[in-house]
Amino acid sequence: MTELAGLLPPVSLRRGLSYWLGSYRALTRWHLAGLRMWLMLLTVVQVMTGAGFVLGFALFFDHIPASAALFVSTGVPVINLVVVGLVLGPQLVAQQKLQQSYDFVRALPVPQSAAAVAWYTVCLLAGLPAVAASLLIAEARYGIAFTVSPAIVPAVLLTAFTGTMLGYGLGHAVPNPMVTTLVTELMIFAVFGFAPVVYPPWQLPSWLATLNWWFPFGHMAVIVRAGLTSGMVTGIASSYVTVTAWGIIGVAVSAWALVRRG
Amino acid sequence: MSTASPLPLSTVTRSGPGYWLASLGSMTRFEMGRARQWAALMVVIQILMGAGIAVMYGFFYPRVTHLTALYLTTGTPALALIPIGFVLVPDSVSQEKLAGTFDFTWSLPAPRSAQAAATFLLFTTLSLPGAVLALAVASWRYGVRLDISPLIVPGTVLCALMAISVGFGMALAISNPLLINLITNALMFVVLLFSPIVIPPGHFPGWLLTADRALPFYNMAEVIRAGLCTGLVTDLTRSYLILAAWTAAGWAMTAWVVGRRK
Repeated sequence: MTELAGLLPPVSLRRGLSYWLGSYRALTRWHLAGLRMWLMLLTVVQVMTGAGFVLGFALFFDHIPASAALFVSTGVPVINLVVVGLVLGPQLVAQQKLQQSYDFVRALPVPQSAAAVAWYTVCLLAGLPAVAASLLIAEARYGIAFTVSPAIVPAVLLTAFTGTMLGYGLGHAVPNPMVTTLVTELMIFAVFGFAPVVYPPWQLPSWLATLNWWFPFGHMAVIVRAGLTSGMVTGIASSYVTVTAWGIIGVAVSAWALVRRG
Repeated sequence: MSTASPLPLSTVTRSGPGYWLASLGSMTRFEMGRARQWAALMVVIQILMGAGIAVMYGFFYPRVTHLTALYLTTGTPALALIPIGFVLVPDSVSQEKLAGTFDFTWSLPAPRSAQAAATFLLFTTLSLPGAVLALAVASWRYGVRLDISPLIVPGTVLCALMAISVGFGMALAISNPLLINLITNALMFVVLLFSPIVIPPGHFPGWLLTADRALPFYNMAEVIRAGLCTGLVTDLTRSYLILAAWTAAGWAMTAWVVGRRK
């Protein structure tokens, strides 16, 4: 009778904190291994686009005004932080759907929350080197002395979180991979040019500035800017609220998409 | 009991200018049939890339002066043509290579030079309406009065033809689709940030401007600008010559790949 024990399914509990942490570690490793070659290339591309944008922005002006230089230098890190989670993330999920590996990944015996937090960790890791590079290059090129305050830590964590979760929700909730790709392409266009991230909101037509007040990207720039400069931005509290609210929307959409049965 | 004589082979001569022109006609129809799927999308991309970027770059300035607005508006057609030639054409060629359509087309009983000419003819014609629309949107946005001269016609046609020839030649000459993707992305980055297309060239450091004078993008903008306003463009002949040289280079690359056996 005792031989039967070997045939029974394992009885380890699939819940509890240690199971969650184990899943989190396993999935972080899973993502890093899945991206391995990519991650290096991605970091290089991110650093180059960040540096390119910081340097290229000066070419728009005969002599770049100090305020414009400060805005672009503190805005490009925001783009570095969100681009992986917001653009690459949904495109990877779309690719999984096309290659039919999506159902397999969904079926892994891990809590969905651990999977989401693992992906957030990877996006944050992929964004941080570029943030540092953009800031250093801005300092060298424009001679800006940033006054970094502890507020930069929650700002960076929250900005990356909201960007990643919005992308996560988009990737999982939209069934058609083509639509996902199209939306992400449009989004990067909007974040770069039509949201007050690399320039102040008063340079936009007032209707567009008002519209942007409801969206998270301008507010992400406000909170990151608040951690890098002093006395430059106001209304920091409401910006935190808006970015957090969008983060919660991202989590809610992701949860809805992942929990329902296909 | 006579055996049936073998079926006669076709006696049509597959050479001579008459046959070449007939092939050009049928290949253009063939390509046009395929273009129906994406021709509308192409115009949308052109409006986004041309007018969208011209509008977006306007937000970067604290104050848009008349000169800035003039540069932004007159650079728009070049911005609308560049992604067609340097992104869409190479992408579609590499997709056709992957799908095997490319080998099929080459196996058709039409001279390959006629096939390539049909592609150039069709794409050049299709890319023009989008460029005009993008210009219309930009000039409406900035309220710039344009001083249109007949020079605009040869200028725009040469630019479209050059972009498509170089894009097609590049896509044929480079067999790895990933490398083509990398090159097209890097080129777009150069075009959007480091080429004086919608920015006055006076803002550029000398070494960068020298590089841009040899590349096609700045010269495209100059040739089109000369047809839209007076007084901004100098050394137009040089720009025409450089564009003609790039067109010839695109044709040479195409001829080299098309002429050799696999």
